[in-house]
Amino acid sequence: MKTNTFILFSLLLFFSSCQKDDEIQLLNIVSERFDNLYAPQNGGVDQRTGQFAPISGEFTKFNFSTGQVTNSDSDWDVAFRATSIIVNGGISLGTIDEPTRNGNASVYIASGTLASVTDVDVQLLAQDTESGYAIPTGGGNGWYTYQGPPVNLISPTPGKIFVFRTNDGKYAKMEILSYYKNAPDNPDAYSDESKYYTFNYVYQPNEGELGF
Amino acid sequence: MIIGSASYSQSNIDTISNTKLEEVVVTATKTLRQLSTLPMPAKLITKEEIAKSSSTKLSDILDDQPGIFIVPDFGGGNGIQIQGLDSQYTLLLIDGSPIIGRQSGTLDLDRISIGNIEQVEIIKGSSSSLYGTDALGGVVNLITSKAKDSISAEASYKISTFNTNDISVNLGKISQNGDNLNFYFNSFNSNGYDLNDDPILNTVEPYKSYTGFLRHNFKKNKWSYFSSVRIYNENQDFRLDENSYGKNIINELGINSSINYIKNKNYKLIFENYYTNYKNDEEFRLNQNSIEESFFNQSLFKSELRSIYTINKKNTLTFGLGFYSELLKRNNFNREEVSQNSFNYFVQYEGFIFENTNYVFGARYDQYDEYESEFSPRFAIRTQINDNVSSKISIGKGFKTPDYRQLYFNFSNSSSGYSVIGFNAAKEIISNLQSLGQISNLIISQDEFEGKLKPETSISFNLGFNIKTNKSTVFDINFFRNQISNLIDYKIIASKVNGQSIFSYYNLNKVYTQGIEFNSTSTVFNDIEISIGYQFLEAKDNDSKNQIKNGEVFARMTPSSPTFQIKPKDYFGLYNRSKHNFNLKISYAFKDYFEIYFKSKYRSKYGLSDSNGNNLLDDFDDFVESNLISDISISKNYKNYILTFGVENLFDYTDRENIPNYPGRIIYSKLNIKL
Repeated sequence: MKTNTFILFSLLLFFSSCQKDDEIQLLNIVSERFDNLYAPQNGGVDQRTGQFAPISGEFTKFNFSTGQVTNSDSDWDVAFRATSIIVNGGISLGTIDEPTRNGNASVYIASGTLASVTDVDVQLLAQDTESGYAIPTGGGNGWYTYQGPPVNLISPTPGKIFVFRTNDGKYAKMEILSYYKNAPDNPDAYSDESKYYTFNYVYQPNEGELGF
Repeated sequence: MIIGSASYSQSNIDTISNTKLEEVVVTATKTLRQLSTLPMPAKLITKEEIAKSSSTKLSDILDDQPGIFIVPDFGGGNGIQIQGLDSQYTLLLIDGSPIIGRQSGTLDLDRISIGNIEQVEIIKGSSSSLYGTDALGGVVNLITSKAKDSISAEASYKISTFNTNDISVNLGKISQNGDNLNFYFNSFNSNGYDLNDDPILNTVEPYKSYTGFLRHNFKKNKWSYFSSVRIYNENQDFRLDENSYGKNIINELGINSSINYIKNKNYKLIFENYYTNYKNDEEFRLNQNSIEESFFNQSLFKSELRSIYTINKKNTLTFGLGFYSELLKRNNFNREEVSQNSFNYFVQYEGFIFENTNYVFGARYDQYDEYESEFSPRFAIRTQINDNVSSKISIGKGFKTPDYRQLYFNFSNSSSGYSVIGFNAAKEIISNLQSLGQISNLIISQDEFEGKLKPETSISFNLGFNIKTNKSTVFDINFFRNQISNLIDYKIIASKVNGQSIFSYYNLNKVYTQGIEFNSTSTVFNDIEISIGYQFLEAKDNDSKNQIKNGEVFARMTPSSPTFQIKPKDYFGLYNRSKHNFNLKISYAFKDYFEIYFKSKYRSKYGLSDSNGNNLLDDFDDFVESNLISDISISKNYKNYILTFGVENLFDYTDRENIPNYPGRIIYSKLNIKL
């Protein structure tokens, strides 16, 4: 027993001395939950009349380094409008009120749990194009499944983890938990307000670090 | 078919000892066979059992059978589930000829009144080697009664809860020169029932139906003839709210004929012709000005010639050739009408290897234009191991051609905007929508629709033992497995600019169902008969199973909790399948005074849909609770009268969301008069 304690002690000593010697202070990985990001839109299919009007409305933008919603035209990474999710990188699809991409953000959808996605595969990163978003739209295609009438519920598909390269070249991963206000355990499409995103995310603030 | 069976020479009946002679079936081999010597799993429901249970609809009597479930389908109607296979994989016949009108795959068994049914024959496991398409899970054949006396009349009236009235009349006549005529008429009406809170919308709207069935057979010298006509009419009015109401009408016609030529005791020819038509019209008025109409009109003509050569007492060779011609017109199709002709050829040999071992080997070839042609063999063997124990093994291939909906559907939901299109229609519809700028994202390239949708196929395997412990108790145990390939399912092929998806049909999955069936019947104290049935079922998708094994499937505890990976043991299996099913029937005849009949059916929990977004049913999904339904009846026999009083669903079990076909407790009374 004595020897074990000794080894452990010397190891600790070794690590702490290393840190001091290299003078590289890695920033802590940020692991947060963001509640109720509101992402309204105008137009679309009216639930009552079935009439279709062109979709419009400002996207709600999010910045991983601040962990906040932003109105900035350039300092944003990902943005939301109803079920559509875009990144600040690539080409606009050309919908009304869609922001121009002036950054270099990109994204892909990994399969796993938030914890099990530990490395970024840069090969898979993609940007929005004029023919479609990097995160595909529509129930069953991208991040959610749509349960038709009479339930009409939008549920985030389990196992869909977004892996981002942010506007400023860092990496982040995100799991959407809910599309309904206050992330109720058993959402009801009729009584719970929709277009409120709640998500967990992990942000790697260190330049060039591909692991979480 | 019936006269066919009646005139089959008795030489076909095997001469194995201690078998009940009266239990004879025709469905398993298209020749007359003793039930007890059949090498494939078969079940016979007698007229007596139908009478005892006071059932008037096919759905009622089938629901009493262990291992068989009657499940409501999303397309409407209550269909059959055998060995874990859906209604669309079971062929339903009346006197050997198929009932049609599967609007969304399911055949509604409430349509069929059974007041003139002599026996229901159920063959489990694939029978495509004799019947071709749809006979994957099995075949249910209803044999109609013929007149037994020179003149006979029988009438019954059943009144039950929800003002449900069922009147049946059977008239029979055998003339001096041998004409055997039987006429059956049934009138059914019900106020329906309501399990929901909506003041206008009912779970089942009031409806009425009429069935007429006339059959005739006649025998002269070497010739015998059978013919029958069946008509069915159903009317239902419904309301959705204050202003929208509609009407649904079903009309069915079936004309059957069979000519038998018996050359000598070794050789005979049977020529059968059958025409049937099923029509469903629905008119729906949203308000004064807007009327939506939908229609479904299907016809089938079937012709079959069989030659049966009885080589000697124990060996029979059958050759057959057949022709099908089918026509369908319906709304939501991308063409006016679809039709198809197909030919089939089959051969079957029934023989003995040793004194105690008999077998049936058969194969059928079905030739299609629209799909790949199918070859379906089957082999079944039975050994009488000793006086009390026999074994059965059967293995066969089954198939089901894609239904027309899967090929030509062109449907858009008006309220939410999604579309479902058939495989053959997909290319045309997609390019039309593309030129209109309606497609925002094409998920599947159009080339994938160049080929043909393949028929669904199965390999079914059954191994069974029949054990008699003593004079009064019989056990039956059967292990089964059905492996299905090319299962047709739908998936998203494109998304529209309105954000909604377009679905189409594909050969996607491999699924299997396997399990154990156990049955026992015993008589105690001479007047109590107890029958116990149990089925263990496992029904799973092979692909889903692999995905889970590879760690590719995830779930959430609640819709808003983080994802976790599910393990193989968390996979529950296919929707609407219960692992355990338990049946108990007890009947007690108190001398000749009265008879009490009690039956109970337990169904363990099952899931109807995925509730946690991973497209499969796992232990973290929502389930329908297990349920136990019990019925009891007492009947009194007096001269030509039988009066029955009974309660169905004694403990008033309902689950309005998940089991809309259980209306709750039903009290009934039935009077039967024989003249």
